[in-house]
Amino acid sequence: MRKLAFFIPFALFIGLSVFLFSGLFSNPMERESSVMNQPLPAFALPDLQQPEKIWTPDSVKGKPFLLNVWGTWCVTCNAELAYLTELREQGVMIVGLYYQQPADAAFGEVFNLSALQQEVALKLEQQGNPYQWNILDKDRTLIFDLGVTGAPETFLIDAQGIIRQHHIGDINPQVWQQKLAAAYQSLQE
Amino acid sequence: MIAEYGQLALTFALCISLALAIVPLYGSFKGQQTALQLGNPLSYALFLLTAFSFWALSYAFWTNDFTVVYVATNSNSLLPWYYRLTAVWGGHEGSMLLWLLTLSGWIAAVAAFSRSLPLQFQGRILGVMGLVAVGFYAFVLFMSNPFERSLPYFPVDGRDLNPLLQDFGMIIHPPMLYMGYVGFSVSFAFAIAALMGGKFDSTWARWARPWTLAAWLFLTLGIMLGSWWAYNELGWGGWWFWDPVENASFMPWLVGTALIHSLAVTEKRGTFKSWTVLLAIAAFSLSLLGAFLVRSGVLVSVHSFASDPSRGLYLLAFLLLVVGGSLLLYALRMNSVRSQARYELFSREVLLWGNNIFLLTATLVVLLGTLFPLVHKELGLGSISIGEPFFNQLFYYLVIPFALLLGLGPWVRWKQQQVQPLLKPMSLIAIATLILALGTLAATQSVQANLALLGLLLGAWVGSSAIFELLQRLQQFGSVKQGLTKLNASHFGMTIAHIGFAVLVIGVAMTKTYSVDTQVRMKAGEQVELAGYQFKLVEVYPLNGPNYKGEAAELDVSYKGDYVTHLHAEKRFYTVQRSVMTEAAVHARLSRDLYVALGESLNDDSWALSLYVKPFVRWIWLGGLLMALGGLIALCDKRYRRAASQKEATELKDTADA
Repeated sequence: MRKLAFFIPFALFIGLSVFLFSGLFSNPMERESSVMNQPLPAFALPDLQQPEKIWTPDSVKGKPFLLNVWGTWCVTCNAELAYLTELREQGVMIVGLYYQQPADAAFGEVFNLSALQQEVALKLEQQGNPYQWNILDKDRTLIFDLGVTGAPETFLIDAQGIIRQHHIGDINPQVWQQKLAAAYQSLQE
Repeated sequence: MIAEYGQLALTFALCISLALAIVPLYGSFKGQQTALQLGNPLSYALFLLTAFSFWALSYAFWTNDFTVVYVATNSNSLLPWYYRLTAVWGGHEGSMLLWLLTLSGWIAAVAAFSRSLPLQFQGRILGVMGLVAVGFYAFVLFMSNPFERSLPYFPVDGRDLNPLLQDFGMIIHPPMLYMGYVGFSVSFAFAIAALMGGKFDSTWARWARPWTLAAWLFLTLGIMLGSWWAYNELGWGGWWFWDPVENASFMPWLVGTALIHSLAVTEKRGTFKSWTVLLAIAAFSLSLLGAFLVRSGVLVSVHSFASDPSRGLYLLAFLLLVVGGSLLLYALRMNSVRSQARYELFSREVLLWGNNIFLLTATLVVLLGTLFPLVHKELGLGSISIGEPFFNQLFYYLVIPFALLLGLGPWVRWKQQQVQPLLKPMSLIAIATLILALGTLAATQSVQANLALLGLLLGAWVGSSAIFELLQRLQQFGSVKQGLTKLNASHFGMTIAHIGFAVLVIGVAMTKTYSVDTQVRMKAGEQVELAGYQFKLVEVYPLNGPNYKGEAAELDVSYKGDYVTHLHAEKRFYTVQRSVMTEAAVHARLSRDLYVALGESLNDDSWALSLYVKPFVRWIWLGGLLMALGGLIALCDKRYRRAASQKEATELKDTADA
């Protein structure tokens, strides 16, 4: 027994190396989304342009669609608007989830809905409007529940309201072809 | 041409390292004196060639030779000359060259300063270090060559050094750290050489002690400088982040600390042998693991160099060979070794054993916290992250018993200690501890039962125990004055290092408890109060540096109406790298730091500013400095310079022949 005890450090080290080895071939930046294959979390949030209309998981589902988290303050989101608009023209349904940054009272910022509506409308007019409608997540509750780490992020939601894909970063032709197109097509059938 | 000469020198160095790995080891097993004697000249040649190669790369930086890819990616013609030189180790390839320089430096040092060792033993040490060197030289030459040219299409100017690294702390932090990491390869080589010989007595430990102390001292300084740099440069007043790469440097430090103590037991009492050898292997293995983690891209960290799986694969194979091989050798050789020394339950041996247990547990905590996310993910359980709360909480529980033991340790004798004689000094120390801790807290803050009080109690306990013990020891020489000249340096070193630990604990606890900060919006002329200090923003004006633009803010600080100091905080925009850096303004006093970071400009001529008042934060680095100083003093002990006696030498030779 005593002799075997001296092999313990060696054995532990070999065990550790297995993980180090497999770690070499995976991307540490990659995060698996915890909401994959889960239904949309419960929410009741107003439409950005018509705040009297409230969206809920039940009222958004029915057809597969992309839920795109974005904001006018986000440079990458602006860059992907053109390609998303192209996708909309090809018949892909895209819903915007507007990521409102917190207004910091200490710095004299106040949330102003009509100013935001104008800003969004202007932006979409200039860059192209891929969205069927935009959901305003003023307090970032849905964004938190979805595990969003930043903007832009995009979720592919099926007709039953189940999240099928989660993409972090912008949507470009390459990402669409490699990651989302096939899944979207299969949901259509 | 100079860069080519550099590469040529590096190629020769690889050949030399191959010879160093083979010739002395061959000589040691065949008993050939000539082969063994070649170890020294080979070591010196290795160092000279590497130093030349390092000079060649520095020269390329100095002359802005942007045809060298590495220079072009890490420097810029507008970079001040001193940062151009430190940019040599600002990226992966150059920092590997620095690694080689330190490694060959340690090898040459071993060759130069261990002439008194039996030739056979010295040959084995140099051979083992040569083996390690082959791996690193080949890695640099074949997988991360700093001398690669981009001819004929070379850039007109370079991409500039990462602005985070353009700081004084960064000039010396990596060299110190590498001296520490690589320095543990010496203890490692001693351990492996002893394993090859097959007999372990106290002489081995005596020879390894100064080298281990030196490596530990550099690592302590390196870690401390890194923490100090982060505090000044990152702009949010933090000094330790539990970042994977910080952890990678912290683990060898913890094990190295355990090793220093364990070596003492092995030297003085001839016991803990297998333990000490394992620690010596572990300290260097963890240094290698650190190098792997930083350079392979397995973990996400602010420190990571651009990752490349083939480099990672090479380093992992190297790790397997070196660490796996030595642990296997350990398992095969060590199981026949028995310690004869006897000791009672209450003895210095047992307390030092406790020290080792706590330090190793701490290492394990850091290792788990660092690698668990990786293991978790590779098992297919999804991504998790382990952060500050985990480490802080576990270290909180570990440090209490550790500090209590540390206060007791130096008082306890080897072999056996009666409880009775210790009662008086210990109760004196306990009283002194209470007075010191409560007094300090009452003088600077308010007395409350909180983390700060706990930290002060532990710190005062360790500190007063160390001081009383030193005084008592000095009096044994007749008088304190006589004792000062007679007591050996390593005892002074130990006392100072322990006081350093006490200072560090107090610093951490006080800073954690009493730091206050606020994020404010200020216009020139406005005033904000924080912890009794009035911060007045005098003006903000544009700034024009050699390779950056930006703004500087001038603030006046007063305390209860009395002027304290003037602060100058900068926000720089580095034009080539297009990144923004804060240069925090710090007013440092022993009892507190005032810290101001300039933030964004807001629409109406006002500025966002972060203000911090951090009590006792200096004590953290002061503690680190004291620990390093303790190591330095212990290193000066005369015993380490005395030539190994003839008897020891023959003894070792006999065993090696057997």
